Amino acid sequence: MNVEVKTYRKGEIPGIIAIDGQNCRGCDACKRYCPTGAITGMFGATHRIDRDRCISCGQCLINCPFGAPYETVDTVEEVQAKLGDKRYTVAAIIAPAVRVAVGEPFGLPAGSLVTGKMYGAMRKAGFVIVDNNFAADLTIMEEGTEFIQRARHALFGEKAEHGGEIGPLPQFTSCCPAWVRFVETNYPSLIPHLSSAKSPQQMAGAVAKTYGAERIFKVDPEFIYTVGVMPCTAKKFEASRPEFQSACNFVKERGGASPGTPYPDVDTVLTTRDLARLLKRMKIDLAAENNAEGGTLFAEYTGAGTIFGNTGGVMEAALRTAYVVLTGNNLAKLEFEEVRGLRGVKSASIQLRDAKYGKDVTLKVAVVHDIRANIRPIVEDVLAGRSPYHFIEVMNCPGGCINGGGQPICDTGSSWIGRILPSFAWS
Amino acid sequence: MSEKKKPYDYVESPFMLTRREFVIIGGIIIALLAVPVVWLRSALVNRNYYIKARTKGLYQDDVSSKIRMSHENPAIARFYKEFAGHPLSAVSEELLHTTYVNRMNALS
Repeated sequence: MNVEVKTYRKGEIPGIIAIDGQNCRGCDACKRYCPTGAITGMFGATHRIDRDRCISCGQCLINCPFGAPYETVDTVEEVQAKLGDKRYTVAAIIAPAVRVAVGEPFGLPAGSLVTGKMYGAMRKAGFVIVDNNFAADLTIMEEGTEFIQRARHALFGEKAEHGGEIGPLPQFTSCCPAWVRFVETNYPSLIPHLSSAKSPQQMAGAVAKTYGAERIFKVDPEFIYTVGVMPCTAKKFEASRPEFQSACNFVKERGGASPGTPYPDVDTVLTTRDLARLLKRMKIDLAAENNAEGGTLFAEYTGAGTIFGNTGGVMEAALRTAYVVLTGNNLAKLEFEEVRGLRGVKSASIQLRDAKYGKDVTLKVAVVHDIRANIRPIVEDVLAGRSPYHFIEVMNCPGGCINGGGQPICDTGSSWIGRILPSFAWS
Repeated sequence: MSEKKKPYDYVESPFMLTRREFVIIGGIIIALLAVPVVWLRSALVNRNYYIKARTKGLYQDDVSSKIRMSHENPAIARFYKEFAGHPLSAVSEELLHTTYVNRMNALS
């Protein structure tokens, strides 16, 4: 593996996913899930992953019938060591999709909602809770406000408050690190359309090490160790991006103690599978835990934050807030059924009256998941300037984060034909 | 016609099925057809079962939440009041927003 990698910057982890040649039967199942065609190898021969094309989404990993793809980064032992080190406050940033899947490795039925048990188990292990749902709410505030600004700029010619640049419509969500890397490697001309808001994980890390260090935990940010607990393998890549040292720079600019080595906003990332492994190593049985509270300000979240893990969830949460901000009225019904479900591309139009300008507007939004199958026509429309939409949510994995590459593995995946086809491979 | 005399009163056809044989063979054929139909149907019904189960779990969390809109989260209000000011403020821009890089040229 001494091949030079080109699409990674210094400091970034190249190739989170690799294929174990010993286990690969060459059945091509992974190729049917790969969004970028990064997997090469003839049918029947051992497959390889082109790390430059790979966006680290991990769909091949959870769908391989032989368990051949594996994660090259494993920080379970490192996190366990930090939990044992009393100098450190170890903050777990727990993604929404983890609470409905982490019960599965402990014998609970698929989809059991175990927020309380999870808090209990993790606090027993020594974590403090920074629920990523809190950061999801924060994302809605930032990304939603950005969207309103872009929409008012495009529709009514509103200028930015400080004369800054305002991005074009449609605005794409930027929560999914695999999607962001997909844009960066395949459609860089779409970058102005991406929301400038960080993903919830990175917001949580930056907030925990600035506001959290100062007001909530009351410790030196250098001694806060943030652990993303994510349903996602691409989050490991995202956390290693060099620009995500904003908390360190922020503290330094304001005359805080200058750290010996710059620290990242999110120190390391565990997948849901990694978390289950860590808890089992520490002999904590999540299923037997009592329900516990989060115990910090950062554990307060709303229903809008928690649905981020489903496809359509970010859009629905953004619409709930954007509607209220734009019209000044409350929504009669909070559920936007049009953006729910497993159809490839879901769209909705919302008629509302902008209270500030006193004009009627029809907002057109779209939700895309499973980008392998669904994204290209949408992107081509945007590039050609004929996209009817104002706001587009994109999640790489089919079904959203709840089916992410870091989730517990359920036999051979989301496709029924996928269960049958590997039987025809010669091994 | 009457001149030609039949050698036998009754000739058993080798392809003739008794009612009992017809029921047995027909039953076997239907059973063989039904097996893959049932198999495919159960595969179709169970497809994405865990995606659906987890999706349901999160929507259940939403419904059981007391507050269901992000801007009403008191913790968020406190964060903006004590620290960031308002969305898209200078502090927000520094801590909560980012930039992206073009990686396509390297790929070509």
